[in-house]
Amino acid sequence: MRPTRMFPILVVACLGLAACATPPPASDPESVAEFNALNDPIEPLNRVSYGVHNAIDTLALRPAAEIYRTLLAPPIRTGIRNVLSNLRTPVVLLNDALQGETQRFGTTLGRFVLNTMLGVGGIFEVATDFGLPPHSEDFGQTLAVWGAGEGPFLFIPVLGPSNPRDLTGFGVDLAAQPLTWISGSTALENAMVVRSVAGVLDAREGLIEPLDTLTANSLDPYAALRSAYRQRRAADISNRGETGRADATGSAIGSGLRR
Amino acid sequence: MTLKDDNDLVTGPGAPAMMPRRRFWLLPLGLGLALVAPGARAQVDPSRAGEFIRKTGEELVAAINAQAPIGERREQVAAVLRRAVDLDGVGRFILGRWWRIATSDEQQQYQRLFEEMLIRNLSSRFGEYQGVRFTLGRVQARAEDDVLVSTIVERPNSAPFGLDWRVGEVNGQPRVVDVIAEGTSLRLTQRSEYSSVITRNSGKVAPLLDAMRGQIATLAAAEGR
Repeated sequence: MRPTRMFPILVVACLGLAACATPPPASDPESVAEFNALNDPIEPLNRVSYGVHNAIDTLALRPAAEIYRTLLAPPIRTGIRNVLSNLRTPVVLLNDALQGETQRFGTTLGRFVLNTMLGVGGIFEVATDFGLPPHSEDFGQTLAVWGAGEGPFLFIPVLGPSNPRDLTGFGVDLAAQPLTWISGSTALENAMVVRSVAGVLDAREGLIEPLDTLTANSLDPYAALRSAYRQRRAADISNRGETGRADATGSAIGSGLRR
Repeated sequence: MTLKDDNDLVTGPGAPAMMPRRRFWLLPLGLGLALVAPGARAQVDPSRAGEFIRKTGEELVAAINAQAPIGERREQVAAVLRRAVDLDGVGRFILGRWWRIATSDEQQQYQRLFEEMLIRNLSSRFGEYQGVRFTLGRVQARAEDDVLVSTIVERPNSAPFGLDWRVGEVNGQPRVVDVIAEGTSLRLTQRSEYSSVITRNSGKVAPLLDAMRGQIATLAAAEGR
């Protein structure tokens, strides 16, 4: 769905829930400009979602990530992260192609072949040593490269900060996973579930310290996350500030921050 | 103010966060003031900025990794930050348009709290940064007055991450004016956060100062001193 077509739906949702932020009066141009720059017309509703997310996180996600960290030694967790990231490579490849990034497409293809063959199904990250460092792409970024606007800021429980464009991208990436469409075998369906659970655990485990720090050091963690997410996405879209790290789950669960 | 692209921002000390269209008539006046303003920033020499970050980074790493009690290490780090960071300019940038609304007493309190909070935030993470190393990457002169110095920070048992330092020249000396971690600018994030606290408290600066005091107390308690 195009972000512009999401807008009427959001307006209806706003009216129904009386969840819209009150825009500042037109007599205060500075406040109006800031309100527009924040791009968060349904802030009250988003803050409620953030509260719900935090409750789920405190009760389930963070404790599960702690257990995952305690039970599995660092090399095993690294192996799991590498496998998850290798499984995501076809989606990165597709988005490289859709963005017309031929060189990055070649890198991703080479990475997939090397890590799958020499890296034993992706357990070992060998492609970086061959001069092919990882990068991340997703369909939200592809939409942005195609000129789609982000739409209003959204906070979705469990998924974290987003917007109509990135949420659409998340759905498309999910649908583009070859494993999503393979069914008929219980073993494969179980593998899908294991992969999803491992993805959530891996993402949340890597964010234990960054999120703890953010919550402890921030006067308004919601505002800090919103700002950090939007800056991070802008950097991702322009492929700025990459340090050659793979992204095992695509959209980072619960934050939009990076490990 | 735009949060999408930090390159568009007006960054001079005391510069307005954004210039509404209706106030364009103020522009000549503003430019006039800027020309006579003392301590105006000039383009900093890229190689000098790179050397400055290497030296500052080494001092910070040495202070963090020192074999000394936490209080002592915190004082060392605070001394490095006071020397290297344009605390006045960064503090004002973060308060943005609310700086003009604050009374001069609130401005002074804010600057003091801002400095203490920055130091406390960093010292609360010393444990996390034990054994930290960094390597200097490329140095780019930016379209504006600043130079961007890239570094890669490595910690034991943790993936390396990119940390960029924005260096400006203040009163003839290079000074850090922003830190950008993996594409996220510290001063932009903090400006958004502080503005949100003030907006949610009916546009008053005092509740922000209270929140900062509370935060400093919490951090100090967690550190045990």
